[in-house]
Order: sequence, then structure tokens, then C-alpha cells
Amino acid sequence: MPFRRYLPHYLMIAPFMVLFAVFFLYPILSGLFYSFHDWNGVRTPEFVGAANYTKIIGSRDFSRAMGNLAAYIAITVPLGILVALGLALLVDSFTGRWSNFFRNAYFMPVVLPAFLAATIWRWIYAPNFGLLNIVLGWFGIPSVNFLNDTDTMLYALIAVDIWVSAGFNMVIILAGLKNIPTELYEAARLDGASKRQQLFHVTVPMLWPVLFFVLTYGLISAMQVFDKPWLLTGSSFTSYGGRRNALLFPVMDMMGRAFGGVKFGEAAAYGFLLTIAIVVVTGVMFGLRAWSERR
Amino acid sequence: MKTTRAFRAALTAATALIAVGFAGAATAEDVTLEYWVYSDFAQGDALAMQQEFIKEFTDAHPGVTINISGKGDDDLTAGQVAGAASGTVPDVYMNAQSVGAQLVDVGAMANIYTQFMALPEEQRAQFDKDALASCMPKPDELYCLPYTGFGSLLFRNLTVLEKAGIDPATPPATWAEWYDQMQKVKAAGMYAIPDETLVFNSIAEIYATTGNTETWGFDWPNRKTRIDEATMTTVLQKFVDMVPLNTGTSRNDQATKDLFISNQLAFHTIGPWVNPTYDEAAKASGLKYDFVLIPGDTAGKTGGIRSYEIVAVAPGKNQEIAFQFAAFITEKAQMARWAKLLARYNANAAAMADPEVSALPLIKVSVDAAHGAMEVAAPYFVGSIPSCYNSTVIDYASATADGDYTPAEGAKEMIAALNECMAQ
Amino acid sequence: MSTMRKQRRLTVWTALKWALALAIALVAVFPIWWMINVVFAQAGEPVSLNPRLWPTSLGAGIDKIATIFAETGYLRAYGISILYALLTIAGVLLVGSLAAFEFSLFEFPGRKILFGVVLLALMVPTAVTIIPTYVLVSRLGWLNTMEGLVVPGLASAFGLFMLVQFMRAIPKDMIEAARLDGAGHFQIYWHVVLPLCRNALVTLAILTFIQTWGNYMWPLIVGTREELYTVGQVVGQFNSPLSHHTVDTVMTANLLAAVPPLIFFLIFQRQIVQGIAMSGSKG
Repeated sequence: MPFRRYLPHYLMIAPFMVLFAVFFLYPILSGLFYSFHDWNGVRTPEFVGAANYTKIIGSRDFSRAMGNLAAYIAITVPLGILVALGLALLVDSFTGRWSNFFRNAYFMPVVLPAFLAATIWRWIYAPNFGLLNIVLGWFGIPSVNFLNDTDTMLYALIAVDIWVSAGFNMVIILAGLKNIPTELYEAARLDGASKRQQLFHVTVPMLWPVLFFVLTYGLISAMQVFDKPWLLTGSSFTSYGGRRNALLFPVMDMMGRAFGGVKFGEAAAYGFLLTIAIVVVTGVMFGLRAWSERR
Repeated sequence: MKTTRAFRAALTAATALIAVGFAGAATAEDVTLEYWVYSDFAQGDALAMQQEFIKEFTDAHPGVTINISGKGDDDLTAGQVAGAASGTVPDVYMNAQSVGAQLVDVGAMANIYTQFMALPEEQRAQFDKDALASCMPKPDELYCLPYTGFGSLLFRNLTVLEKAGIDPATPPATWAEWYDQMQKVKAAGMYAIPDETLVFNSIAEIYATTGNTETWGFDWPNRKTRIDEATMTTVLQKFVDMVPLNTGTSRNDQATKDLFISNQLAFHTIGPWVNPTYDEAAKASGLKYDFVLIPGDTAGKTGGIRSYEIVAVAPGKNQEIAFQFAAFITEKAQMARWAKLLARYNANAAAMADPEVSALPLIKVSVDAAHGAMEVAAPYFVGSIPSCYNSTVIDYASATADGDYTPAEGAKEMIAALNECMAQ
Repeated sequence: MSTMRKQRRLTVWTALKWALALAIALVAVFPIWWMINVVFAQAGEPVSLNPRLWPTSLGAGIDKIATIFAETGYLRAYGISILYALLTIAGVLLVGSLAAFEFSLFEFPGRKILFGVVLLALMVPTAVTIIPTYVLVSRLGWLNTMEGLVVPGLASAFGLFMLVQFMRAIPKDMIEAARLDGAGHFQIYWHVVLPLCRNALVTLAILTFIQTWGNYMWPLIVGTREELYTVGQVVGQFNSPLSHHTVDTVMTANLLAAVPPLIFFLIFQRQIVQGIAMSGSKG
């Protein structure tokens, strides 16, 4: 009986799978059910077909949020990884106590709760008296209204984002660096490879699996960005997204529709539209990897 | 600080004594009420007073226990909506009028009309008429008792005004005078006003200098906005005029308060809750400021908005006793003590008329401010305000200030977009 | 000649490298330092007069902290948050490592599909599931209880994903060797695999701690009574934009929330890199 042979395996995954089925799978499926209904969380759900979906896709806020998200991801994900890679190489070039010191210093922002990071940065970005504007003032640059000027808001968010997440990605990349066998570098040196050639021909290819993980995970979480822009713009359920909706993102709009407008069916539909986008993007990522490995 | 500590110690001792006294008398019908309040009401002196109210009420109603929890504004809404979904709405709770319709929609608010009418005539008459009316979408439906409230005030930095050559003794009586002062302030190298286009409520405050409640808010039967195009055009022109004069920060930003405290900003339109900050600065760094009514287009008209916090009761088995408690805390004796402690205006007109209360300067101005002001999201309790509404108003006001539209275009486009948003 | 030039260039490079590393460290840490200075300064001083580059008044800071501890349930919230975090960590590590052990080291029917479903769940935003999960928890009678806070978060898809990545690197022959020595299935997990990925578990523990500590929405709706307020909720009471609080109090409340995660990190920081590093070493 093959099942008996596999029984120990199923027993070991059972706790996880049961909890997962009850507290993730069931809510996801019921969310899917509600996304086709008009539902305020209390009344009997009323079937409305795809109306929630068409309404969202047709709404101004949805296109704005998706547009913002595309711009945000296009910058924050690659830039975040480059910064993290740079930090990792930098830390790796030190040894002993200093290597530890810099690693811990760079990791420090990761530890802060999001609401704290946002509060600090709201102060730093404040016009006139904000720390950043004081520093810019030393160089004669007039005060910039980072969080209310639609030209700078996105970049202000991205800076906070990288400040917070670079340390996290750096640590993962550092681990990958430590795993590259030193013999490879020695071999490259014997072949007369310069430092830069070593970087591009040994380090980056060997790091690729780690970078792929960082990239994929970074992409998935960037698409669900919520608390940083929400807090930086001082949003509330009745009004969110910052000046001229320049920092409106899908999950923010979803939360606003759920708790501000008590339209949970609509919010669920919004969530699944975003999920589809995430699955597609992730699928493309894995497809690209498979394609590049086959070559 | 010392007195409150002593007071609290005495209170604890008294509670303990009474607890011992009543231990034997606890009735079979023990009820526990969950009572949610704004977070500032659940801290420090405000909490001590709330607990005093609770104790007085539970002393008179043996067997009743009341758990008080403080929550931030959004957290109240989220908790109540979630509570409705699971059938665990708090028995007595506070929130803002403007989310009332959502809470009625999810069944979190009981219609307390019959219970209210059963109160003595004298107690019913204590409430501010307008405030009470805003809780009644229909003649026989009452969903809340109005609690604390505010009318927006114009905080003025007197040092800045003097430096700009303005005599602060007479506050501006009309928009024209006010705008003239703003320009003088700017000419003297300081900021006149925060950027009023950034926050829905500050847009409403300036709108109210020209418009009124009838041309603001919602036309629910037709699902349209009540905003009037001509009025909005005038108001958008004001925003355009203020662009060179403003700080670029919203009225709620800490940066705005910092500018005001450090004598670089002349005017700040906002509710009375900034007063503790300015009061502290007056003591620490000698800030000189006062608060007056926001002037309107014509002398005697007041700008600014009013809004009330409300006390509501959940439907269900505890509704009767929960209403009794809500009625108790909104009664004159409690509201007068509450107003004196916080120096804050509230919806109990009888308490506001109490000589000791009306002597407090912030309350005195607030009473007039609230009476002249525009309702921020009326009519209440009819429909849930769509989440796109406020952001559309902000969006077009900002865009017009940025120069993307002329005021006339901006008003037209804004109203079209709002009607589209309402129709969804 | 050429070696000398090379050495000189090297020192310039080294100096630049140090300058860069220190500058970045400053950017990373200074905002936190600044926050501390805001708390340890006289209340009501505008930033223009006192840019808060260093603490100016220890007494004022201590007063603010004392006021917050006296006037809010901050200390109890510390307790709740720490308990919430520790129980979540324990559960996530146990449940996640059991499942990761199977998914990474063994073949059995349905393995790929089950793992794929779990990964797919990583892509659904929490906002979709929060109300259904909440209603479920309330039907279980878990509102305002610790289990209501903890249990729904135990099956962490991220945790599983991460542990699977680690455990894949464990050589299969080690498992075979243990089996030949007569070790049972569970014994292999407990005595062989777990010790091997101890550092990985510590890493996951730290990440779970940070994540749980910063979790806001779930505790907000599940733990509505003050007895169950987490630190995030207590801080949330200060952060609402229209509250009467002055900025110094708000900052103090926020800063106090950061202290435990910082301590937790400083204690376990060594494990973070080692944890991830050891996993892949057999590549």
C-alpha cells in the first residue's frame, strides 16, 4: 500500500497544511466567492456577476493606482537590488569587527516598525525645517516639499522604501557571497581576470539564484505596497493617496473601499485583480529564468 | 499632576471600598458593556474623568460593568465594521457623524428614537438643535447622541502680524480683509497660510467662506453632489490666489505647526485640538497667538466647518442599558464637567451655557464658530460616502491650484467627476 | 615604481571605501539617532531653534517616558506584544520546519501541487482575506484571545518557502546515513536536520519577530479590548492626525515601540548572516 509508505510524510506536513487550509485557503476561496457579490460584511451577499470587477477596472482610481504601481516597481525593485548588492559587496570587503559593524548598521532600519519609519521620514521630508531641507539649505538649495509635490512624492517613497529594505536584501546577498567557493576566484585570478572581470564572471553568475530570490520576493511584496505610502501621506479610510493621488496604490484603494466604503465584495474583487497581476509578473519571472537557463 | 495623582488614588480607594460594599449585593443580572472612545479620551485626565462617569453610572446601576477602550479615528471605524461582521459591535461607542451612514448600513447602530423620546423633556432639550437633527435622517429615526464637536477656528500668530504691520486687535471681518492681511504677511517675508488644498476639511473650510451647507455635501435622492459650480469657481480662484502665499504643507502637518510656533506662519485654520500644542509653545518659547472666527465673504458670515463626534448604541440585548449610559454621559452635568476639563466645545447647549463653561475662551469662540460654520458632510446617516468622493475634491482643487485648470474649468470638471463617483 | 603607484592607488581606494561605508552607515542610523534626540529634548522647542543633532535634555525625555508609562497601558502592551511574538515564532518555526523538512528532502505524491498552492497564497494580498479570516476567528470564539491573535498566522507561506530553500542544501546522503543507523523519520528531523539549520531557524525567528511586532491591522480588529492591546495599537492611539497630543509625546510613544525589536536584533544579529550562509554551503 503506497499510502502507508507515504503516511509519515503526510503526518509531518499535516499541521502546516491544516492551518494553512483553514486560515488561508478557506478565506481566499471565500474572498473569491464574495468578489462576485455585493457584500458589506453583514448583509446576505447578493450575486452581481462580474460587476465588481468591471466597476473597478473602469474606475479612475484603479488606473491611477496601477499606473503609480508600475512606475514604483520599475524603479524600486531594480534600484533596491543594486543598492543591496552594492552594500553587500561593500560589507564583504571589510573583515572582522568592521564587517559586523557595517552590516548591523545597514540592517538597523529593517528592524523598525513601519509606522515608526514613516513618522521619522515625515519629519525628515518636512519643508523648510525638515532635516533634509536643512541639509539642502547648506548648499543653497531652496526648500523642497517632498511629500506634497507631485514631482517628488514617488521618489520620496522609493527612498524610504530602499532605506528600509536594502539591509534585508543585503543580508541575503551577503550569505550568497559567502557561499561562493574561494577556489573560483583563485582560478579566475590565475587566468588573469581583473577585479571587475571577477565581479561579472564569477560573483554575479554565482549569485544569480540568490538574486533571483531577492528579485522575485521583492517584486511580490512591492506589488502589495501599503503601509509606507499610507503613513507617509497621512492617509485615512475616508481620504488616501496623497496630493492628487500621486501615492495611491492598489492595496490602499482596496482597504479604503473595504473599511471606508464598507464594500467588501468590491475590495475582494480588487484584491483578485491585483493577485492576477502578481501571478502574471511572477510567472514571467520564472519563465525568463527557465528560458535563460535553457540557453 | 500631583493633584490628579492624589485624586486618582482617592478614586481607587473609593472604588475598592464600594466594591467591597457591593460584593454581596451583585445581582443575578450582571451586564458588561464595551465602551469605545477616541484615544485622547482614554488617557490621562480625560480617562480619569471618563472613569468617574462610569463609576457614577455603575453605582446607580448595580450589576453593570463598563469596559472602556480608547482607539484612534480610523481604528474605531475598522473595529466597528469588523465587529458588525462578527456580531460583536461594542455596546456604546464614539465615532464621527460622517461615517454614521456606513455604520447604519452594516447594522452597527441602533435606532434609539423611542428610547430618546422616553427621556424627560428637560434632558432632551439640552442638546444643540442642529447637532441633534444631524443624527436624524428621518423624523422617527435617531441613530446617535451628538457628543463633542468643533467649529474650525482661525489661529493667528500675533508676532507675525505685528511684524507685517498689521494691528492684531481687530481680526479680519471679511475674506477681502483677510486676504489683504495674507498678502502683507507674505510681503514681509513670512508665510500667510498652510496649503488649504491638501486636505478635504481645509478645502471645505475655505469653501465655507463663500458657500454654505446647502451648497456642500450630498444630494442623496439623485446621488449627486450639492456643490454649486459658481461657488466652487469663486473658491478655486481663492486657492489660486493663495498659491504664492502658502507654506506648501497641509493644515494637519507637524511642519505647519512648527512654522507657526517659530513665528513664520500667520494663520492656521483648524479645530481646537492644536491648542494644547500652541499653548505648550507659548509657555516654552513665548509664542503669542489667539484664535478667532474664520471670516466669510461678507461681514457677519463665518467660514469654516463644523462636525460632531457622536455616541451610538449597538442593537441587541444590551441596547436598553447601553442607551441609559449614553444618555447619562451626554447629560448636562457630565458634559459641563467634560467641557471644563478639556476646554472643549460639545453638543450639549445647556452645558455650554453654564457660566463656568462659557467663561473659557476656547469654548466661547467655539460656540460661535460652530453655529456659523458649514456642515462638513451633510446630510448624515443617509448613504455611505463613496471612497472616491473626498479624493476627487482634493484632486481637482490641487490641480486647479497647480494651474492645470482655470477655476471655472476646475469647478465644472470636479462636479462632473463627483457626480460620476456618486452614481457608482 | 609601479608597485608604489599601485599601493598609493590602493590607499586612495581604501580611503574612499571607508568614507562611503561610513557615510551610508550615517544615513542608515542617523534618522534613528535623531528620533532619540527629539524625545530627549525640551517639549515645545521648534526644530528651527533646536535641530536635535544630539540629546539636549535627559530629564525631559525621562519625564515624557514616565508620563506615557503612567497614562497608557504601555507596559502591559509590551507584555502582550512579546507574548504574541514569541508564541508566533514558536509556532511558525515548529509547523514550518516540519513541513519544510518534507517538501525539501522527500518525494511523495502531491508534493509539487501542495507546495505550489502555498506559494500561490503568498501572492494574495492580506486585505482580501482579512474579513473572512476575522469572521472565522469570531465563529471560533477567539475574539479578544491570544489564540485569535496567534493561530491564524502560524502557517506562514513565507516561512515555509524560506526554510525549504535552506533545507534543500542539506546533502541527501546525510539523511540516508542516519536512516542506515536506524533513525526514524521524526528522529532524522529532530536530531539531524533541525540542528543543521539552527541558524536558519534563528533568522526566521528574527524576521517573524519583526513582522509580528509591526503587525497592525490584525491585532486591531481581533484584540479590541484594552487588555489585549499590542504595542502597535497603543502607538496608534497617539498617531491619529487630529489628536490633542503634542508631537513630543507622539515621538516618545513611537520610539518606545522600537526598543524591543532593536534589543532582539542586537542579541541575535550574529546568527542572521551565519544562518543564511551555512545553508547553501554544499550548493
